Amino acid sequence: MVEYKINPNTDEEIYNLLNPIVSNWFRKKFKNFSPPQTFAVKEIHNRNNILVSAPTGSGKTLTAFLSVINELITLSEKGELEDKVYCIYISPLKALANDVEKNLLEPLKEMADIVEHKFGIRVALRTGDTTPHERNKMLKKAPHIMITTPESLALMLVAPKFRALLKDVKWTIIDEIHALATNKRGTHLALSLERLQNLAGAFTRIGLSATVSPLEDVAKYLVGINNNGKERDCIIVNASFDKNIDLKVLCPVDDLVDVTQARLDKTTYRMLHELIQEHKTTLIFTNTRAATERVVHNLKERYPKDYTLNIEAHHSSLSKQSRLKTEERLKNGELKCVVCSTSLELGIDIGYVDLVVLLGSPKSVSRALQRIGRSGHKLHDRIKGRFLVLDRDDMLEDALILKNAIEKRIDNIYIPENCLDVLSQQIYGMAIEQVDHIENIFATIKRCYSYRNLSRDDFSNVIKYLTGDYAELELRHVYAKIWYDETTGNIGKRGKLARVLYATNIGTIPDESFVTVKLGDQPIGKIDEDFLYRMRRGDVFVLGGNTYQYNFSRGMVAQVVAAPGRVPTIPSWFSDMLPLNYELAMSIQKFRALVGERFSKYKSKEEILAFINEYLYVEGSTAEAIYNYFKEQFDYAEIPTADRIIAENLYFEGKHYLIFHTCFGRRVNDVLSRALAYIYSKLHHTNIIVSITDHNFYLQSSKRLGAAEGIEQLKKENLQKLMELAVDKTEILKRRFRHCAGRSLMILRNYKGQRKAVGRQQVSSQILINAVKRISNDFPILKEARREVLDDLMDVKNADLILDKIKNGKSYIKEIETKIPSPFALNLIARGFSDIIKMEDRLEFIKRMHQMTLAKIGQKYKPVKAIS
Amino acid sequence: MVQIHPGLEIIDLGLYLVKENIIIFSDFHLGYEEAMARGGVLLPRYQFKDTEERLKKIFEKIGIKLKAIIITGDLKHEFGTINRQEWRDVNSILNLFGEYTDKIILLKGNHDPLLPSIVKRKGITLRNSYRLKDFLIMHGDILPKNEVKEKVIIMGHEHPAISVSDGITTERVKSFIKGKWKDKIIIVLPSFNLVTEGTDVKSDRLLSPFLKDVSNFEAFAVPEFDKVLYFGKIKNLNSKQ
Repeated sequence: MVEYKINPNTDEEIYNLLNPIVSNWFRKKFKNFSPPQTFAVKEIHNRNNILVSAPTGSGKTLTAFLSVINELITLSEKGELEDKVYCIYISPLKALANDVEKNLLEPLKEMADIVEHKFGIRVALRTGDTTPHERNKMLKKAPHIMITTPESLALMLVAPKFRALLKDVKWTIIDEIHALATNKRGTHLALSLERLQNLAGAFTRIGLSATVSPLEDVAKYLVGINNNGKERDCIIVNASFDKNIDLKVLCPVDDLVDVTQARLDKTTYRMLHELIQEHKTTLIFTNTRAATERVVHNLKERYPKDYTLNIEAHHSSLSKQSRLKTEERLKNGELKCVVCSTSLELGIDIGYVDLVVLLGSPKSVSRALQRIGRSGHKLHDRIKGRFLVLDRDDMLEDALILKNAIEKRIDNIYIPENCLDVLSQQIYGMAIEQVDHIENIFATIKRCYSYRNLSRDDFSNVIKYLTGDYAELELRHVYAKIWYDETTGNIGKRGKLARVLYATNIGTIPDESFVTVKLGDQPIGKIDEDFLYRMRRGDVFVLGGNTYQYNFSRGMVAQVVAAPGRVPTIPSWFSDMLPLNYELAMSIQKFRALVGERFSKYKSKEEILAFINEYLYVEGSTAEAIYNYFKEQFDYAEIPTADRIIAENLYFEGKHYLIFHTCFGRRVNDVLSRALAYIYSKLHHTNIIVSITDHNFYLQSSKRLGAAEGIEQLKKENLQKLMELAVDKTEILKRRFRHCAGRSLMILRNYKGQRKAVGRQQVSSQILINAVKRISNDFPILKEARREVLDDLMDVKNADLILDKIKNGKSYIKEIETKIPSPFALNLIARGFSDIIKMEDRLEFIKRMHQMTLAKIGQKYKPVKAIS
Repeated sequence: MVQIHPGLEIIDLGLYLVKENIIIFSDFHLGYEEAMARGGVLLPRYQFKDTEERLKKIFEKIGIKLKAIIITGDLKHEFGTINRQEWRDVNSILNLFGEYTDKIILLKGNHDPLLPSIVKRKGITLRNSYRLKDFLIMHGDILPKNEVKEKVIIMGHEHPAISVSDGITTERVKSFIKGKWKDKIIIVLPSFNLVTEGTDVKSDRLLSPFLKDVSNFEAFAVPEFDKVLYFGKIKNLNSKQ
């Protein structure tokens, strides 16, 4: 059972548990136990599974380690410390693992100094960067505490010598568990933990999490399920929000509709500059790599005297060295300001930061708190965050994040389930480990929360895939990864190279190949190779918020020219932007409804401003700007809500747009827009262009589309089935399929000593998906790609709930006509399109293009005339 | 059937010499999937079956026994550590040809150095190039040493394809291309490799010394069995006007 611990232990209770060496050390070093420690230390000591949720810098890591160190020191003092791994600490970041090694070694050393002898407790780091020499050292003298990553843990599980060390693990600590549980890396880890449990027996599981919701789900993910189908026990400690927080939304101007970009930029940078100057060290989050560079560049340009060597950019495209150097300088207090994309979000100790600025909405309350929590990195410091608004919709998101953060309403996270690609990889791992019975393997998998609902059919299809069932019998040895003997029920690995092949291709992070985009000699970003494959000279596309025109490419470099203000000709589905959280979107809708109500009752500006101010905790120009945004929408059209969805039929610059004002977040809007586009494309036999934001979407076609027609049809459909058809021909499915094929080891990164032996250009995603569709439309890896698109990337479940409300009349669509976009639609129209739902198949399309070409050249081909 | 040049007709991916009753194919690259599998891309095998079926349809369409079948190189994707099945596939295709002609002429490509051993076994002629009246037929990877007397050069090697795009959707299609090299007319066959479409002649860098500039070449796309669509000059493809 999963339950919350309500009452903390007293300091005395905890001291009583501790070895005198440890308690002496603790008393010397700290005044008292931190909130997470008062809740958790005793539970860990009693070997209870526990999930600790607390802000960074609250002593979470030490909480987890304190009981472990305590027991190891006691064993050491009694001379009973054995040469084996007692505790595994797993972190999503290699750099973080480095950090903990320091934080763990230091206390141990200080305790040793107190008693003036060493304990002989060994701590070792096993990551992808660990050298063979270091690994050998571990095998000779087992570390007592092993610090590792999910991938390296999976590697150890197939290495016989390492397995021997792990046979008696007592504790497993999973740091930043919220950053793992929400994606396939976490799914992978959950299976590794069950495999570890097969080897080591039950061990204590300790999860450390930032402030997320629902913690119950994270706890269930952490501990899994017993063989008898009962949830394992877990105690939840919620020590969130104990820090003193100071948050504000800042809007640079009081009217964001009627302002030029130049003026907005000027004011925004001035505000940013003033904030930086008022504080000692400022950390700025920008969401994208390109924006990170832009902000640094602009600050240096606009305030050359103030920003020279004291400002740095930090994002994942920069070299590891340069990032480490920036982190080091940040810790040493040498920097005035660091601008990052999302890369400093997780808990590397970044030292003294007294202000966090969020430039651009972080899209969820928990992400905002995680980022803001990077300031005031000592327990009792105040954490201080400022949301600096970039545009109108950004402003609403920021304001509602602020409200929810203050009122302690955290939006929900999503944990993916039944991922068949990860499952394939892990079953292969289990087969490499040892020959095992199929029922044991199935039982191990079903113990994971992420696979508790796995169907036997899906499991069997994965086994069939792994046994090479899809290849001709004679060639099966090339394709088969495992063998399965139906008479004995046993499963084992195939091929002598299995272990090497598995070890060199492990993991869940897709192996993407990027091309550098350059403007002259200046690199401006990276795009996926698949994306480049589709581009023709003259195409306009979006990169990091700016538009560029594609010229040509040489090798791994694509040359572009700036094309400011041009409408993109290439869909922007490749820019994987953070989606707005659904609960947060719904709270924006609620606010819209409340404000809309006041406008329709013709309340005075003062009354409405007072309401905004009270409801959202914003003041001054921000409240004014929100008022103006709603006022213009109300005057021009209508204010949409969750229950009264406005469909805006816009005829603008010769194009027909059907805009749906659906502020449900992009994951839901992705579903609604594609489902409707698919319906219209069938009804009118035409291609439909879609554009999607977190707040709305449009469908564009050569003729006017009526909202009612599409909605009526949509009500009759099964959304899941409709969406499977609607995404079938999309680029996003092809792209995700390639990732899934990589995770399930259908495409190998490393094979027989060659890295990427087959060039990607030779095997386009199109070839891959065509080939598996011919095997079966239900081929497990294809099924997984569809699931990933519909459940992880999009959100069919919540879209279905919205559709239900429309079906049973709880919400309705109101159609209006406009000649210029309503204020709420401005961002959407300016953005360019996201994707196209194609009616035609390949041949139809080519024939149509042929007809167009003939019309252009004005004649049919006459062979003798054509040349000579 | 579309006449690409007097006496030369496109029949699906083959080029048919009408008067001579000879068909030319190019660049089968048999064993492409196996080569991908050896590189770590484990896709199921369809190439051989698809190739066999498509060839049969072409032969049925022609309907009479051919005087000769000419392959302008690269029948096999790669030699080296290939398996028995792949050898069998090459033999099966040659046997299939044998059912429709008594004369198989293999021209040397850059991918098949080991072909002589097969050829000996099957009693097939292997040549660097083949001259027939006005036509010089060759792989096309290197320039001929001697002066070319023929008016028309027919070659493979490049795997020509065009990309058609409306700015939103882009599709790559196998395509014959026809243009000029010095004072000769040159016709390039698309590859018979059914796994990939080939090289985008407008955007990609071309390999053949004959194809330094193809902007004035004309394209004849083949999007499906025996469907030939004339797309005009390559330089005008997908232009906005």
